[in-house]
Amino acid sequence: MNSPSPLPVALPDLVPAAPGVSSRPCAWTNIRAVASVTVKELYRRKDFYVLFVLTALLTLVMGSVSIFNQDNIVRYLKEICLFLIWGASLVIAITATARQIPAERESRTLFPLLAKPVTRAQVLLGKFLGCWSASGLCLVVFYLFFGMVAAAKEHEWPVLHYFQALTLHWFMLAVVCALTLLGSLVFAAPSSNNTITLVVTVGILLVGRHLKKVALKLSEPGQTLLTGLYYVLPHLELFDVRLLIVHKWGLIDWWIWLAALAYAAIYAALFLTLACWLFRRKAIN
Amino acid sequence: MRVPCLSVLLLAVAAFSFSTALEPRFQEWEGDRHVSDNILQAALGDGRKLFAKHFYTKADVYFHNGYYPTIYDANEDFKQGCVAGGAHHAEQEEMEDFLGPAKDWIDAFSRHFFPAHHTHLGETTGYGPEHDGDPDPDGDHDHHHGEGKASEHATGPGAAEILPWLRLSAELDPQRVETYVVASYWLRSKLGKVDEAEQFLREGLQANPGDYEILFELGRIYYENREDVAHARNIWELALRRWQEREGGKSDPPLFVYGSILNSLAMLEREQNNYPRAIKYYTALKEISPNPANIQLWIDYLKTNGPPIKVGLSAPAPR
Repeated sequence: MNSPSPLPVALPDLVPAAPGVSSRPCAWTNIRAVASVTVKELYRRKDFYVLFVLTALLTLVMGSVSIFNQDNIVRYLKEICLFLIWGASLVIAITATARQIPAERESRTLFPLLAKPVTRAQVLLGKFLGCWSASGLCLVVFYLFFGMVAAAKEHEWPVLHYFQALTLHWFMLAVVCALTLLGSLVFAAPSSNNTITLVVTVGILLVGRHLKKVALKLSEPGQTLLTGLYYVLPHLELFDVRLLIVHKWGLIDWWIWLAALAYAAIYAALFLTLACWLFRRKAIN
Repeated sequence: MRVPCLSVLLLAVAAFSFSTALEPRFQEWEGDRHVSDNILQAALGDGRKLFAKHFYTKADVYFHNGYYPTIYDANEDFKQGCVAGGAHHAEQEEMEDFLGPAKDWIDAFSRHFFPAHHTHLGETTGYGPEHDGDPDPDGDHDHHHGEGKASEHATGPGAAEILPWLRLSAELDPQRVETYVVASYWLRSKLGKVDEAEQFLREGLQANPGDYEILFELGRIYYENREDVAHARNIWELALRRWQEREGGKSDPPLFVYGSILNSLAMLEREQNNYPRAIKYYTALKEISPNPANIQLWIDYLKTNGPPIKVGLSAPAPR
């Protein structure tokens, strides 16, 4: 998964701004062009297919087990399936995003790309949009599978609940993709970026909610540092609503859901801004 | 080319012949370190007991619809394992509210994204129509998650959701007796699966020969579900003997199961009009009971050879 991507078949058709015409439509067109190439590159790779087949296989095997001749047991299956989906989606998002800039640099396609009328920021945003879109497509397939498996057992399809879970998950991946992209400009190799981003993401998911409780038990200056970290870190665990889905809790209030999406958008924008600033100052060679 | 192929074939046939000849001897060999056919036990070693405990706790998490303290939340009440407890009272439920008031805006905001209210399997969790157990009697579908209608026990098929974790816990640590007893309770009392409960208990007995807790639960199956009094009596008497053999000599023996066995035997003999035996068990129970006066009332009542007593009546008031 860490091998550099081959030369793209064609560099994106990037549109220069005509004289006297606003460059905003062109910027969006350029970003979209880079993103489309990124998406195509990602669905041509094996990563998603391998992880999906693995997830499906494990889920179906677990679902075929008979427990005390009781047929309608479904929560354990939903939990296992969602756990696999979360693991797979994190791996796909992080590994796909981590190799974008380094692969372009190693295959020397970054120079001709930047020689076109496209800014570094547009390239970066295009890469982010491509990785995020690809992650979203993967999530749609994963959640469709999950929905079918759950429906087969419990004979109901809570579409709105799954929609909320999917969108929250997708926006969480936006933060992860942005963080990974930033990491690809900071760390030397994609492997180290993969590892560090994965560790940080999993760490936040596991203990992010409890940092303040831990901080209260420490002495100074640890307490202040940890409390500061608690407020500064993006709380990715907010988007993990698996327990609500597994245990059939009600819908999240739509305004709360929207606020969570906005929270993710803010952090993603922050990481992307930092990444653009770093990329602009970085020597490509 | 023929010679190499034939050589390989000869070697394969020789290997197969050796394996068929040596395998039976290996099974009888004293030096065989094979302990278990279970791949999980072999792969995980003693670490499986940690996983077994984790999966047992998972069953408790499912019992509470995901509302459960983490290792960062201190709450001793949850550590007793409500899945083994059964009925919950209002005061106990209040004590189990480990979250408390929100500490900051992030904490308050985050409580919309995970189960943050105390409910049990079978209670409404705001998921439209009730699916886990008895239907909501008021037809009031609360769409704010967490505001459940109170019901003391998980009922109906919803209770089955804890079974996979109990099963897995038993696979990983067959010596964990509590798992068998709890699973059997839920199987026979909530799901009506008496045969499966008995089968599971017998598996537990195979892994824990003569364990008095499993024997006691097995006796309850015969007494409460199969109404086979003779069988139940035999099993409870065996459980009592096993308890006395294992725990009788200790300075601080576990008295809860002992008291339950004595009480069940006393109740059984009382129902069968075997008053002398009932008195014998009540006398033994009185020594360890926190309420000996009530036990004495029963003894006195039985000594007067009163009419047959139906189970469920409270002890007579003193004259």
